[in-house]
Amino acid sequence: MHFEAKSNGVNYEINVREERKNWIVSIKPEQGEWERHVIPKEDYQVFDNAITFIYKQTSYLVDVLSKGINYEVYTRGSYRTLELFNDEMLLHESLKGRKGLGGGNTLGSGMPGKIVKVMVKEGDEVKEGDPILIMEAMKMENEMRASRDAKIKKIHVKPGDSVEGGATLVTYE
Amino acid sequence: MFKKILIANRGEIALRVIRTCRAMGIDTVAVYSEADRNSLHVQLADEAYYIGPPPSVQSYLNIENLIEAAKKANADAVHPGYGFLSEKVEFATALKEAGIKFIGPTPENIESMGDKLASRELMKAAGVPTVPGTEGSVSSVEEAEEAAKEIGYPVIIKASAGGGGKGIRVVTDPKELASSFRACQSEGKNYFKDDRVFIERFIQNPKHIEVQVFGDTHGNVVHLFERECSVQRRHQKLIEESPSISVPEEVRNKMGEVAVAAAKAINYEGAGTIEFIFDNNTKEFFFMEMNTRLQVEHPVTEMVTGYDLVAEQIRVAAGEPLSFKQEEIQQKGHAIELRICAEDPSTFAPAPGKIRICRHPQGPFIRCDSYAYPGYEVPIHYDPMITKLICWGATREECIDRIKRALAEFMLTGIKTNIVLHKNIIRHPAFIDGSYTTQFVDKEFTGKKHRELFMFIDENVFLIAGAIEAYKKQSSKDFSKLSLASRWKDSGRAQQLRG
Repeated sequence: MHFEAKSNGVNYEINVREERKNWIVSIKPEQGEWERHVIPKEDYQVFDNAITFIYKQTSYLVDVLSKGINYEVYTRGSYRTLELFNDEMLLHESLKGRKGLGGGNTLGSGMPGKIVKVMVKEGDEVKEGDPILIMEAMKMENEMRASRDAKIKKIHVKPGDSVEGGATLVTYE
Repeated sequence: MFKKILIANRGEIALRVIRTCRAMGIDTVAVYSEADRNSLHVQLADEAYYIGPPPSVQSYLNIENLIEAAKKANADAVHPGYGFLSEKVEFATALKEAGIKFIGPTPENIESMGDKLASRELMKAAGVPTVPGTEGSVSSVEEAEEAAKEIGYPVIIKASAGGGGKGIRVVTDPKELASSFRACQSEGKNYFKDDRVFIERFIQNPKHIEVQVFGDTHGNVVHLFERECSVQRRHQKLIEESPSISVPEEVRNKMGEVAVAAAKAINYEGAGTIEFIFDNNTKEFFFMEMNTRLQVEHPVTEMVTGYDLVAEQIRVAAGEPLSFKQEEIQQKGHAIELRICAEDPSTFAPAPGKIRICRHPQGPFIRCDSYAYPGYEVPIHYDPMITKLICWGATREECIDRIKRALAEFMLTGIKTNIVLHKNIIRHPAFIDGSYTTQFVDKEFTGKKHRELFMFIDENVFLIAGAIEAYKKQSSKDFSKLSLASRWKDSGRAQQLRG
């Protein structure tokens, strides 16, 4: 199965093949060569809702959380947020009506919080990185910025509103 | 001694207080908001009382509800922890009126240190050094030159209404004073319609150094040496240590004496902290403010002195004299505390959510004050700090090595944390040699790309695990592979094909 992935700002191509005893995972970074990893299933086991993975003689307890094409992979007090997808997955995502890659048409709340201030109004033209609104979560005010150049089509919230995680705050044209 | 203490707080500090109470044989009462129903402090205390909806103003800051809970529980004292109501005169007074002991300073103590300007004047009068500067505004070049000479270079000239980089000049060379003075004056006039100008000492390499003090009701006041807290982000501390590598022995002693004098000047009772701004070039220190409560970073002092500061707070509140004399207090070895927060390590944006796996570091010389546990959902309503990791070593080097070891053991999944930022900081040359200032994190780490921070674990581990899990997920959706027939039929078919 073929995937494209993005991690830490680098693009990869990945091929995964399942054999009876092994996982064959080949990885190619954007500017590099294919590298083939033979992972014995013995070394990659599901254990108590997590994965124990022995890689190059080091054991990692790995936890993978996926939301659509976003994969959060945690291990050893560290984590990566990967974008991992192939055509089929992208199709699946677009059918669900969610935003695709490259910014999307909405500004969503990453976490639950309260809207403190809205700096734009409907019809405004914004540039990538322009502040759109301020949201308070965990006692801190966080500025939400435009992910791309866009025109504001609709603002779904007003100051004082409490929003859930994943709520759509602003729609772009 | 008290029989039952209510802890008017949550999170790790509530646990911290509960633990000492237990060890002293005192019953504990937890209070909780709706968002903290499953929080660890509620599980650990002997009793728990609901005090209101998630927002702090309706629960942990709600004096009425807290006093009602204390009365219902029949608690004879209240420990406020830090933050929330710990420095609110109204709370201390309300408890006094209700006949419940507030474990902390007197309302008068809190009041006298609550106002920054007034407390500075009070300290000045007690002989505590404050940042040298002009008393009022300076109107002529001659006056400015005279003042700057007295204050000592470098100086900073500030227009009274200045801000945003306008009306502010740093002068290192006396020859530049006149022109900078005039520039500030005219900028103040043009931008803010106010040409009043002040001159103050400019501190080039500022460090945040504070001294722990303790007073009792018998007039004794001691200090428990300093803590350095210069590693900060968004003006909030991230790492604290004791002793400070930058403070020479004679300055350390002087700081202690000054801190004791400051606390004595206001007849201070209980645990308090005198915060200084420390000039790492000249080794001078100046009073900033006094915190009239137990600090988040009190464990580093506990680790180097060997005293339980919460136990001491409780004893002092119960009217007992301090259990240690100044000459008995020693600073032994080195301790460092890291604040582990549920936040993005490069943008510092809070990242609440559900913790999936949580395994704290253990082993020799590690202390982990944490309220995280698997399945716990870090609420959005409160501070993002979930854990304090504290380490002790005979030397600073040994302490740093142990912290590195402990961080490598820390396993926390489901939420983003700043663990990786800490891994980077403790390996940074400016942290290792101790030259770091309060601007350190802003200068060296703010806005750093994730890929510059995340370099401790082989990238392939993440990619392989992610890809295999994506494969599994997609295979399970693939209907062509979902056979309704039995595995026996499958195997029969396979045999036929082979034949």
